[in-house]
Amino acid sequence: MRFPSESWFNAVAEVFNGDESFQGGGGGACNTLMGAKVGDRNFLITFEGVECTGAREVKAAELEAADFYLDMAPADWRAMIQNIASNGHADLEYTLNTLDLDREQGLAHSVHGDQYREDLFFRYNQTLQYYFDASARVATEFGQ
Amino acid sequence: MSEARVWPAEADLDLGWMKQRGEWGMKATPSKQGLTLADIQIGSYGDPVDRSDNQTGRPRGAAARPNSYRIGGYAVVNKSEIWLENASFLYEEALQRQWSSATDVPWHTIKPLRDDIEQAQCQLATFLTEVEFVAGDVPARWISNTTPDYFEPRQCLLAQVMDESRHMDVFRKRALANGGGLMLTSGGTAGVVGSIDLARDFTEMSSRLHISGEGAVLTIFRMGELMAYNDAEKAIYRLCAQDEARHVAFGVMHMRYMHETAPERHEEIQCYLDEAERQILAGSQNPAGNQTDASEALAILLGGGKDKYDDGLNKLLAIRKRQVQEYIKRVRSTGFGARFDNGRSQLTEMLNQAAA
Ligand SMILES: [Fe+2]
Ligand SMILES: [Fe+2]
Repeated sequence: MRFPSESWFNAVAEVFNGDESFQGGGGGACNTLMGAKVGDRNFLITFEGVECTGAREVKAAELEAADFYLDMAPADWRAMIQNIASNGHADLEYTLNTLDLDREQGLAHSVHGDQYREDLFFRYNQTLQYYFDASARVATEFGQ
Repeated sequence: MSEARVWPAEADLDLGWMKQRGEWGMKATPSKQGLTLADIQIGSYGDPVDRSDNQTGRPRGAAARPNSYRIGGYAVVNKSEIWLENASFLYEEALQRQWSSATDVPWHTIKPLRDDIEQAQCQLATFLTEVEFVAGDVPARWISNTTPDYFEPRQCLLAQVMDESRHMDVFRKRALANGGGLMLTSGGTAGVVGSIDLARDFTEMSSRLHISGEGAVLTIFRMGELMAYNDAEKAIYRLCAQDEARHVAFGVMHMRYMHETAPERHEEIQCYLDEAERQILAGSQNPAGNQTDASEALAILLGGGKDKYDDGLNKLLAIRKRQVQEYIKRVRSTGFGARFDNGRSQLTEMLNQAAA
């Protein structure tokens, strides 16, 4: 599966939805519209209840609808996904929260600037981590 | 021989209770998230009254019993004092996102650390245990003070108390898990943190606890991933941060409700925020604030040892800046943000100075 693509995010969603262990241990009900910005490609990923109900590629302007979006250069996305693939989950340096803290401007942004909605990145952090950790089980190729 | 009471043949059952009831014929249907509190807000059961005269513990919507004792002595009887639009949603989220400090933290990943690092972790764990104590006690007092007619915010606060109980125990566990132990009490609970408990009004309490206090602690927990030395510590901070973000969300949504529905209280609430910000500027309730035992410990953890204290301090200053930025954006989200544009708040000036 090629990253970044709509089908990559949906394949990860399928693994995530199929593993009940992602609903425990601080995971569980999660209701948010998350954006992902990979260079000039943009995606919206929907979480409803305990499921990731789908991802779609959108134009940059549509990221406005997201509660927050994760913005990294393609090389940084690749490093994170490769780290997850080699450990089975993100190791100490590559958790979403650490990547957020490592960046002067943070990893999670929003167009609307409403902190209540941006806070969902922290409120659902474990679920989002589980989602990306699920990518360890998706064979990934990189490039446009 | 049977010990069951033998009733005379002519005795009749008193089935009077069968006619005493609230609205009947309810058929709540589960939504995608299961049968949630939001799904049972149907018929008259969904409407909390604006002012409650329920002092007997009668569940909202149940038939009243004339001979009930007044068990409550509830002080919070006006919906506007405690309400928020999404309390039942936050409550369900809290229920579904629980975790266990015993089994969801990979304790086996904690390995011996350098003495100064272990001491700093233990000092911080001592401080956080103490702070979590307040965060549990204070909402608990308000729960018992609130009429059962406003069960949605009450249940949200009950879930918060459970969360805080887990935070208290997880930091205690961390202090005792790796050759160290608890260290010096900060005294913070008797000082500014304790002053949260002096609030006589729910919104005053919530502005100090949920918005300024827990907002600051949320940033600390998130930053915890930078000062974690193993997967166990990372998990502790990450999971605590999720809970904390929910508590902050409660405060933001309550204050937003006050902004929308209680214009007569706006100036009073601005005064609560003045006070909260004086404390943010003083930094004494805040482990990322001015020099305290906890802030020294944080700098050592962030820097990677006593010898790298200055590096750690720089990271700490960055954390403090982020705490303030996020606080400002949260207050803006409640609707009370004009204070940052009209010169009332000194925080924007503080940020500008820091940037200069
Ligand atoms: Fe807490
Ligand atoms: Fe809390």
